[in-house]
Amino acid sequence: MTIPFPLEDRWSSTTGHVTGLALLFMSAGMFVSAIVGLVAGSAGLALLGATAITAFLGAGLWWTTRPGALDHATVFTAVGGTWVAASMVGVLPYLLAGTFAVAGRPWTVVVADALFESISGYTATGATVFGGHNRIADQGAGILLYRQLTQWAGGMGIVVLVVTVLPSLRASGLGLIDAEAPGMGVDRLAPRVRDTAIRFWRLYLGLTVLVAVGFLVAGMGPFDAVAHALTTASTGGFSTRDASIGYWDSVAVESVLIVALILAAASFTLHSRSWSRKRITHFGDHEFRGFLSVLAICTLVVSTLLAFDGMAPARALRVGLFNVVTLGTSGGFGNATGAGSDGDWVRWAAGPQMVLLFLLVFGGCTGSTAGGVKIMRLRVGMAHAARTLHSFRRPRALLPVRQGTATLPDSLVERVAGFMVVYGMLVVGGTVLVAALGTDLVTAVSGVIGSLGNMGPVLGDAGPTASFVDGFSTPARLVLALLMLVGRLEIFPMLLMLVAPYRSVRGAAWPTRRPGH
Amino acid sequence: MIFTAPGRRPSATGTGPPWASWTSAGAQAVAVALGGVSFLAISSGLVDLLGAGDDTTVFLLAGTLSGLAAAWLLVLIRPPDRVRDSHVLSGVAVALPLLVGLLAGLHLLVGSTTSVVDALAEATAGLTTTALGAIEPAGSDHGLRFLRATTQWAGGLGALFVGVAILPFFGAGREFADRSRIRGRRPMTPTQRTALRNILIVYGTASVATWLAYAVAGLSIFDALLVAMATVSTGGIVDGDPFARPAAQWVAVGGMVLAGTSLVVLWRLAVGRARGLWRSAELRVYLGLLVIGTVLFLMWTDGAGPEGVRHAAFTVTAAVTTTGFPSAPAGTWSAAAPVLLLGLVSIGPMTGSAGGGFQILRHRALLQVALREMVRQIHPRAVVRVRLGGRVAAEDTLARVVITQFLSVSVLFVTALTVAVLGLDLIPALGAAVHAVSTAGPVRALDGTVLDPSAWPAPARLALLPAMVIGRLSIYPALVALSTGASVCRNRIRLARRIRSYRGRTL
Repeated sequence: MTIPFPLEDRWSSTTGHVTGLALLFMSAGMFVSAIVGLVAGSAGLALLGATAITAFLGAGLWWTTRPGALDHATVFTAVGGTWVAASMVGVLPYLLAGTFAVAGRPWTVVVADALFESISGYTATGATVFGGHNRIADQGAGILLYRQLTQWAGGMGIVVLVVTVLPSLRASGLGLIDAEAPGMGVDRLAPRVRDTAIRFWRLYLGLTVLVAVGFLVAGMGPFDAVAHALTTASTGGFSTRDASIGYWDSVAVESVLIVALILAAASFTLHSRSWSRKRITHFGDHEFRGFLSVLAICTLVVSTLLAFDGMAPARALRVGLFNVVTLGTSGGFGNATGAGSDGDWVRWAAGPQMVLLFLLVFGGCTGSTAGGVKIMRLRVGMAHAARTLHSFRRPRALLPVRQGTATLPDSLVERVAGFMVVYGMLVVGGTVLVAALGTDLVTAVSGVIGSLGNMGPVLGDAGPTASFVDGFSTPARLVLALLMLVGRLEIFPMLLMLVAPYRSVRGAAWPTRRPGH
Repeated sequence: MIFTAPGRRPSATGTGPPWASWTSAGAQAVAVALGGVSFLAISSGLVDLLGAGDDTTVFLLAGTLSGLAAAWLLVLIRPPDRVRDSHVLSGVAVALPLLVGLLAGLHLLVGSTTSVVDALAEATAGLTTTALGAIEPAGSDHGLRFLRATTQWAGGLGALFVGVAILPFFGAGREFADRSRIRGRRPMTPTQRTALRNILIVYGTASVATWLAYAVAGLSIFDALLVAMATVSTGGIVDGDPFARPAAQWVAVGGMVLAGTSLVVLWRLAVGRARGLWRSAELRVYLGLLVIGTVLFLMWTDGAGPEGVRHAAFTVTAAVTTTGFPSAPAGTWSAAAPVLLLGLVSIGPMTGSAGGGFQILRHRALLQVALREMVRQIHPRAVVRVRLGGRVAAEDTLARVVITQFLSVSVLFVTALTVAVLGLDLIPALGAAVHAVSTAGPVRALDGTVLDPSAWPAPARLALLPAMVIGRLSIYPALVALSTGASVCRNRIRLARRIRSYRGRTL
């Protein structure tokens, strides 16, 4: 029997091949949502249509391409391309179901809103364009589940998922995971890259199931429990309710969420190590301890300030802890029961809001599903600063940058420094651009930081009880959506995807050729 | 001034063992602070005679006493065998807060205010050239008005000394100094002493030129002198509204552009080395920022016509050069206008000028570091050089620039958090922190209205002062001083412990 389209005759494109397979996975998620939609009698056919189109596109790409060589540039192109394609195709269910087709809104805005929600979903950001004009509660179960599934898929990473079933990539698959994973590199959990990816997904699935059970026990209904488990394990923040977690106003639900978010924002390598050693090894990790310390200090500061501001101490502690954890882990859930309630942080005094702005920047640990700059980079930055100051007093001393007992290579320290610089430039440039598109200072700066860190609701006009439609114009929302993609892939892959096709050394070296004074 | 003291210098009190490097640097810092206050007080006392003259005695008495103390201390100091770079920077960093304290005391002595917070805020704002002053003197109080202006002028001069004549000679910012003698060039800062002389010449000439220009524009001779000192130093603290006339506003724009230009550029213009000056990327970026900023500001404030252009140029130049002359908002400000001004204040003027902010050359270095990092992502083994000022920058320099940015942002955030906790709203807190670290002003509301810092809670105003001092010292010396201070204390404690344990064993 002859193969109709032999592998060697196919177009050699790693990007196409990985993207095709990613679209097939996405279509599976859409199909599950379609079944739920059909059972619930809402948007089932639209979701089925979207499933068919996505599967057709994915299968077509996968079938006509084969993986080629994986150099650095191709890795960035493949990962960036896959995320862009997934975000684009992810709008189909919203468009076919008419989710954002509210009367009086032009089609361009409808498409932009669908794109924003899709990107916010896949990047596990949690910023939403649903709001007073178009309530989440009015959506059917199918669309709601699809929305939650986008965050779940994006939380661990679409490309990591692809690597689990793509043995032809062999060792080069680690580069793909590395380019997609949050943090400063991926620890190999198993000798084979595929096994590493599978182990990550197993842990992720296990955490999701555990959280769903926790929510059920805490008093959520089955659908809500599963839906929120999907977006908690991914530190996404989408909810099936307009008031988010504030809908339940329950200490038990909030407690489960806090523990789950901390676990999701901790390194999955630590989880794996604990699982294999049958004991908790988390507290031996410097980054995790630093992460918990940051959360504890911020909770203390925020709760104290809220209490000084007139909130009852117990209430201040509950509200402070919840919101510090949800923003410190890039979760983005809210426990405000309505605009102006205790949990509505945009009504707080300036001090606690400033603490939240700090949390928007840093996020969780490396190797987790959380966004942000990461605690490890903060620690490396501080150690680098201390070394530079120390070297002033001891100019000839060889001073390594250490994290715990490990000495970090200079290349890694420079990489972190470079990341910080690019991040700072994106924040400043993005803020000016978003402000130029009609957003006030606080909303613009927190929106840009929140989008780069995949956080969700921010300060100003886009707080926990507001929609991003209220805070940002349509072009500004598109800028934020782009920043979400850039932030989810930790900046470089998305930026380099644009220049990778022109990757000659001559082109790459242009910065050094500028004449200067 | 901190002397390099290459060898032993005999002391007037006789020969003795040389002092430790840090002791000598600390004592010189105290002497500089006392000398600075002496100069400010005596000159203000003499100028006060032009007006009512009621403060003259206090000014002269305080000035004479502090001058004598400074002279006594200078005689007493024995130079160390070896001067450590970190101790010199620590001396610089210690001198500024000392000067602030002494100047605040002078304000309280002459009765310009009865509030300690106001006195400290005024002294810090003046010496760090941050336009967030706290005192509004009467028009007839010539001595106090002159003291405010001279404080700023001395602050600007001090910033130039630190940036051009101290940091490049003591380990930080060597790449930024004009010391090249290639092709028979006459550099501005071949030695520290020449650098000091050249700075004084250029700064003095610019001050006199601006003074004359203001006088020609219609200001009285005395007012012109005060405003010129506020302009050239990028201080921005003025009394009343000296810019009511369009001509005065244009002179201010010119003066501020001059003040924000690198002293090396001005020096080259003065000695006829202007050829090739336009190749300076930093100069082009600086002028480009001014032009593009003005155009954007016009667009975002509904400005039009010659008056709109003048107003936009004035506001934008005051922001870029971190001078911070106040101006009422003309037209309706869009959301982007205050963000633009904050961005320009953070960028700041050219390196080697009296202005604050992060400064353009450092931003260029950061941009190149960012681009290099992107290149390294694709070509991990590529050797990519970064050039600054036409020369390949050392990795140490780049690391320092990156760390300075990291520390600047950290100081900014801590300041914003502190003042927010102490009672400022979110937007004023962010604005005040950015302006304090950049030594600029004034802080504006979203609609462009200038906010009055004296209406803020006293603790919040006090919390801004360290940020101003750290910003004026370009972050690095301040943190090196802290680190050195901690190290000296630790070493002293260790030594004392060892001595105690040794004595315990021998007894």
